[in-house]
Amino acid sequence: MNPPPLNHRSLLSLSLITLLVVAPHFARLDPRISLAFFAVVLLRVTSLYRPHLRLGRWLLLGITLASAALILSLYPLLMGLPAKVALLSLMMGLKLMECRRRRDLYVVVFLGYFTLITHFLFDQGMLQVAYVVVMVIALSGLLIEAGRTESHSGWPLHSLRLAAGMTAQALPVMLVLFFLFPRLNGPLWNLGVDNSTGQTGLSDSITLGSISRLIRSRAVAFRVDFDQAMPAPPLRYWRGPVLWHTDGRRWGRADLPKTALVSYRSDAPPVSYQVTLEPSPNDWLYALDLPETLPAEASLLADFQITAKDIRQRRYRYSASSRLQYHTGSLSERQRRLGLQLPDTVTPRMRALVSRWRAESADDRQLVNRALQFFRNEPFHYTLNPPLLETNPVDQFLFDSRRGFCEHYATSFTLLMRLAGIPARVVTGYQGGERNPLGNYLIVRQSDAHAWSEVWLEQSGWTRIDPTAAVAPERIERTFEFDLQENTAPGSPVIFSAGDHDLLNRLAKQFGLGLDAANASWHRWILGYSSQQQQRLLQLLGFGSLSAFKLALTMVLAVAALVPLLILLMRWRDRDRPDPVQRDYGKFCRRLARKGIARLSHEGPQDFARRVIRQRPDLQRPVSAIIDLYIALRYGAEDDPKQQRRLRQLVRNFRA
Amino acid sequence: MKQLLDEAVMQAGKIIVGKEQTLRLALTCLLANGHLLIEDLPGVGKTTLAHTLARLLGLQYQRIQFTSDLLPADIIGVSVYHRGDESFQFHPGPVFTQLLLADEINRATPKAQSALLEAMEERQVTSDGMTRNLPQPFFVIATQNPAHQIGTFPLPESQLDRFLMRIHIGYPDERAERILLSGEDRRSLLEQLTPCLTLEQLRDLQQQVIQVHVSNALLDYIQALLKFSRNSPRFHHGLSPRAGLALINSARAWALQAGHAQVLPEDVQAVLSATVAHRLHSGSDTGVAEGQGLAQFLLESVPLP
Repeated sequence: MNPPPLNHRSLLSLSLITLLVVAPHFARLDPRISLAFFAVVLLRVTSLYRPHLRLGRWLLLGITLASAALILSLYPLLMGLPAKVALLSLMMGLKLMECRRRRDLYVVVFLGYFTLITHFLFDQGMLQVAYVVVMVIALSGLLIEAGRTESHSGWPLHSLRLAAGMTAQALPVMLVLFFLFPRLNGPLWNLGVDNSTGQTGLSDSITLGSISRLIRSRAVAFRVDFDQAMPAPPLRYWRGPVLWHTDGRRWGRADLPKTALVSYRSDAPPVSYQVTLEPSPNDWLYALDLPETLPAEASLLADFQITAKDIRQRRYRYSASSRLQYHTGSLSERQRRLGLQLPDTVTPRMRALVSRWRAESADDRQLVNRALQFFRNEPFHYTLNPPLLETNPVDQFLFDSRRGFCEHYATSFTLLMRLAGIPARVVTGYQGGERNPLGNYLIVRQSDAHAWSEVWLEQSGWTRIDPTAAVAPERIERTFEFDLQENTAPGSPVIFSAGDHDLLNRLAKQFGLGLDAANASWHRWILGYSSQQQQRLLQLLGFGSLSAFKLALTMVLAVAALVPLLILLMRWRDRDRPDPVQRDYGKFCRRLARKGIARLSHEGPQDFARRVIRQRPDLQRPVSAIIDLYIALRYGAEDDPKQQRRLRQLVRNFRA
Repeated sequence: MKQLLDEAVMQAGKIIVGKEQTLRLALTCLLANGHLLIEDLPGVGKTTLAHTLARLLGLQYQRIQFTSDLLPADIIGVSVYHRGDESFQFHPGPVFTQLLLADEINRATPKAQSALLEAMEERQVTSDGMTRNLPQPFFVIATQNPAHQIGTFPLPESQLDRFLMRIHIGYPDERAERILLSGEDRRSLLEQLTPCLTLEQLRDLQQQVIQVHVSNALLDYIQALLKFSRNSPRFHHGLSPRAGLALINSARAWALQAGHAQVLPEDVQAVLSATVAHRLHSGSDTGVAEGQGLAQFLLESVPLP
């Protein structure tokens, strides 16, 4: 016998839930795929009400082939994760088209469950998890609804509640799996992630203009938890790639050897902290100037740049410590050569400027100060929209346009120092960061990206000089924050925000910080639960170190033990519990029994009250009040917790 | 509504003196839309009680005196050949009425008894292949003499079950008897009685009976009663589900006439004896009026849950 066809209600809710299940993928897929999926669902829904729009078998086959062709044309050879997700989503949408019987609904629902899993390949954030849980409940509710034999028209709240309850019952098993499932080092799906979609981040070279783009992004670069008090903003220089070689326009890294950790001559105690790096396509880490201890996987190059293996495209958490005051010691011959390299774009007026400074100063230190004075006193402006510098950027910037941001200042300053014979290099990284008071950690955003100079001085070794600070001290001293949407004309100076005056803005900012704090803990405690943490937990529980196989076995046993336990627990919860009304009435009867008026086992409340009042007319008022309320609660339709509390109160106050 | 019923009981009390509880039970039985069996010795006022109820409720009523030669056709009616249009015409019997008084039902043969009892259950009669509905409402108030009297055909258990309640009247107490002896003739008093309820009001009351709230706690109690009757060796057989339904319906009606917003265990207890006594038999001997003692035993043995 054929099962009955699905009714409109089931099909409509199935279509809507399918749409919602796929929805988060829309942003990740090619818009044409999203559009096609949306069109398919829309067609399905309209054909419910316009039956002549229902597609025939051949037309459907044609559409299926066209969809496959579309996917293949957008993602040749189905390379990369989005291609597979596109195929899954679109085929699920097409399955919807031929959904007629209950069996088809089951297929779509299970495809939906599978699609939900694929969301985690892209995003494992808190909101995503919450969304997936809601969708799991919706899908399960649909499954329950479809499994019912009678067709009914009520609001499917009951099914949803049942689905939510069943999902909640899975929670203990989920926890066991979470804690005990053998962890692989590195994400399982690393292979499939499409690297070409690349997130923003610093690159290992500067072509004038590239940091400006980055500066406009509010995306988080990394978060830092300090083990002690946070250093002041002007000391928060997060060191990234160090750039040596320049052709006058582009600055690049030098191939320096790795170095052992050096002990810097320093009096200040080290600052230690943990950095949680957001996924980036780069292989370097960030540390405060200058790093002292580093994670085991990382290595330090001779110019104090930190690189690490296997950190691309994953969230990476590491501990490090730094000294904020230091002396780097002597200069190697190679570094001196690299630090004095000059491009062929040096112009006579640059040479003239530098030789004037050299004449005016007694030593290198004074010359550096003279140069900073130049930036401070001449009409230089800090702007994010510098005019284009076509032929000779450094020369044009120094003498003509005089508008630029950290890159311009750092590169031109470094070049001038080299002209003066002082070894110099450009350091890129991040500066500042915003303290989140809710989690007491530092958020460093892409907009905090910065570039500065280092010069080698006889007295202090490599010394950080930030010419941007000379032009725009606010950039360094305060959290760098300004209206990113502001439509600034090219060359107009940046107005640093004086603070938040608007209440709404302040609230939004607070909310943003709270969300970020929650997300940070989520990443730290849930997603950051790695095999090391797992082993530590097992040791804490007294299991010692377990192999992956034993771990899996433990997991299976734990689940096997947990499920019967859960069943027992639910039985126990559903057992006959004396209801509170009976308990209070029993107490009342016992009190009277102690006074010699015992209720007969078969005596009804009204008869009992009558007998009590006959024997003790003085008790009439309290006894009637209690009995009336008891009758209303136990035998009447009254089911008000407030009345139940009143009965308890009356019984408690009752003195025979 | 309660006043209305109290008024009815008060009016009836002028005729059936000192039997308020019995009157209330009888009224309850009719409110619950059930048939009533009055069992007692001759001369204690069974027929008078039935008459009184009929008049008070303002129902159209008929009376059949059951005798050993009564035939089913005497109850149901008979088809007679009509010469004018050459066809059989049905002449309805006394059963086509709103309230039927079946006097001394156990004097008739089982054949006649079963004709009435079928009409009671189905509320319709079938004669000559034609099914005819009885009027609405349809009550039977039957009276019978105790079974040990000579010349009786005791009703079988299956037929006793059709009666929602069986009540006893009993001898009046001294004071009531004095009023009876010194007062007017009961028959003439009966003539003066005016109906207290209209048909509409009766229907309304019957509707209200169905709506009286029965809580889970009370259902627990009724189930405990049924369970005890089935498990205890004192009873020959337990109470049937129909007995349980009868108990709930009567308790509802009792609660309504007692003015309760919901059914209380007391309401169940008040109707328990009348509702279940004729359905219970002792497990050991075959005493006759044992039902009441058994009902009392049942009541006292089952604690309130």
